[in-house]
Amino acid sequence: MRQWLFATLAALTAALFMLPITGRAAAPQAFYRPDTPKFPQARSWVAQRAKLPPYRAPRTPDGVPDLQGNWNGPVGGGNDDLEEHAYIDVTTPPQESYVSDPPDGKVPYQPWALARRNEIRAGLARGWPGETGQRLYTDPSSLCTNGMPRLGFGGQEIIQKQGYVLLLTANTYRVIPTDGRAALGESAKFFFGVSRGRWEGETLVVNVTGLNGETWIDSAGNFIGPNTHLTERWTRVEPNTIDYVMTVEDPTIYTRPWTMTYPKRRTGTGPGGNAGAITNAVAAAAGAARAADPYAKEVWENTCLEGNHDNVVLLKKLGFKWFDAVTPPK
Amino acid sequence: MKRRFAGLSGVFAAVVLLAPLPVAAQTGATYTPPRTREGQPDLQGIWQVLNTAAWDLQDHGATLGVPAGRGVVEGNEIPYRPEALAKKQENFKNRQQLDPENRCILPGVPRVTYMPYPFRIVQQADKVTILHEYSRIIRYVYMNGNPHPEGPIDWFMGDSRGRWEGNSLVVDAIHFNDATWFDRAGNYHSDALHLVERFTPTGPDHLLYEVTVEDPKVFTRPWKISMPLYRRQEKDIELLEYECGTYLLKQEWQKPDSPLFNQR
Repeated sequence: MRQWLFATLAALTAALFMLPITGRAAAPQAFYRPDTPKFPQARSWVAQRAKLPPYRAPRTPDGVPDLQGNWNGPVGGGNDDLEEHAYIDVTTPPQESYVSDPPDGKVPYQPWALARRNEIRAGLARGWPGETGQRLYTDPSSLCTNGMPRLGFGGQEIIQKQGYVLLLTANTYRVIPTDGRAALGESAKFFFGVSRGRWEGETLVVNVTGLNGETWIDSAGNFIGPNTHLTERWTRVEPNTIDYVMTVEDPTIYTRPWTMTYPKRRTGTGPGGNAGAITNAVAAAAGAARAADPYAKEVWENTCLEGNHDNVVLLKKLGFKWFDAVTPPK
Repeated sequence: MKRRFAGLSGVFAAVVLLAPLPVAAQTGATYTPPRTREGQPDLQGIWQVLNTAAWDLQDHGATLGVPAGRGVVEGNEIPYRPEALAKKQENFKNRQQLDPENRCILPGVPRVTYMPYPFRIVQQADKVTILHEYSRIIRYVYMNGNPHPEGPIDWFMGDSRGRWEGNSLVVDAIHFNDATWFDRAGNYHSDALHLVERFTPTGPDHLLYEVTVEDPKVFTRPWKISMPLYRRQEKDIELLEYECGTYLLKQEWQKPDSPLFNQR
C-alpha cells in the first residue's frame, strides 16, 4: 500500500514536470522512448561550428549585426538536465551536455557545491535513478519562477531598437541596454539580474550581474548563486543560425569559469526545430498544420500562476521546500 | 501583503504630489509627434501614470495607505446596474480577500496601465508591444490586419487589435474573463467587457490615455476614463522587475496555514 502510494505520488510529480518548463509557455510537449537517439548539444555543435565559413550578418539601420526575428530554443528535452545523460524518462531523452568547457561537459563545482547539487537532485522525487524518495525541492520554474540563466535556453523573438535589444519569450521578456549605461549597484538583486550589452564585431556580448541566485540553470538542481556573473555571446554564424555561448563565473561555487554552447535556429528553418519543452508559442505555431492560419504568427495569452494554482497547491502539500539561494561557505 | 501596499503607497503618494498637469490642460492639443522608420506616430519610450486610479477610479478621500485623489471617470459616476452596484460594494467591503491583485494574477486591462509601475511601448510595423515592469507582462496589440479571433475566449488581458487614427493609437479589446478588477476599490466587469483605448501624444513627454468601457452585463451604458501618461525623465530609466507571483509564493510558502493554499 505504502509502495503504491509512493509510486502514485512519483507519477503525479513526474506529470507536473511535464508542464512546459518556461511556465506559461504553451508549446507542445514531446514524449521520448528509451531508444531515442542522443540529442546533439555542445560537443556536436562546436565541431560543426568549426567547419562554418566566415559569415557577416546583414546590418540594421543603426549599423549593427541584425539578429532580429524568431529563434528556437535548443533541440531535444531542453535543459531538463544540462549535463550529458542517457534516457531518463519520457520527457528527458538522451542528450549531450550543454557544457562546452570544461571539455568533460561537467559543471566544475567545488566539492561542497557538487554535494549540494547531488542532494537537491536526489530529492527531486521525479522517479529518477538515485533518488532518496524524499521530497526536498521542486524545480522553481514549476512554481512559475522565471529568471536567468534559465531564460537563455528559451526560444524568443529578438527586436533591435536604438539603444537596446529586446528578447520576447512566450510569457516574459528581457530588455538589454546597449547604450553603455552602468549596471545597478550590487545591493540590487533580481531574478533576471541586470543585463548590459555591447557589440564586438559580429557578436552581441551581454554581461549579466545582480542575479539573486534563486533560480536553477536546469530542472535537475544545477544552480548559480548570488555572486554569479554571466557573459552571453550572441553571434549569427549563418543566415538562420545564432551561435549562443554563455559563460558562468562564480569563484564562490565553481572551481573555474565554465561555458555552455548551443545553436539557436530561426523558427521554421533548418535542423532541430522546436521539439523540446523549451520553445515559445511562435515556434510552436510554426507547424505545417498552422501554416495557412493567419494567427499562426501571433503569441496569445500564456498564463502560469493563473492556470497552475492547483499544481502549486499540490507541490506545497507534497512537502517540497522553498528553494532559497545557496550560501557558499566562508 | 498589507505591508507591501503601505510601502508602495508611500512612494506613490510622494509622486502624486508632484503631478502638475490636469487632464483638461492636455486635451485638444495639436502636437505632431515624430515618426518611426515605418512612418507611424512614435509613441515609444517608458511611461507611467501619476494618479491614484490604481486605488479607486472615482473621487475618494484618504485612508491608511491610500492617498486621496480626484477620479479619472468622466462625470465621476460609474453606471452600474442595480444588482452590479451591490456586488461592487461587496467587493469593496471584502477587498483584502477578493482583490485579484493580492493573488498576483494578471491584473487585466485597463488596470495594468495605471498601476504604479513603469511600462515601455515598442512599435513594429505589424504590432505594438507594451512591456510592463509589473510581473514582466507583455501585452501585444496586433495591427497585422487580423480581426479579433472568433470566440468564445476568456483571457485575463483580453485580445487587443490596434489601428492608427491620426496620431492616436486606437486599441479595440475584447475576449476578457471576469476574474480581474479595475482598481483596489472593487470596481469590476464581466466577460462581456469591451474596451476602446486611445493613446494620443499631446507633447514630447505626454500621452493622453482614454478608455471607453462597455459591458452590458454590469453597466447600463458605456462610460469613459481618461488620464495623462508621463514619460519617465530619469536619464537611465529602465524597466527593472516586480515578480509579484514569486514574491507572494515565497512569503506564503513558509506559513503553515496560508489561505493561498487552502482556497479552491
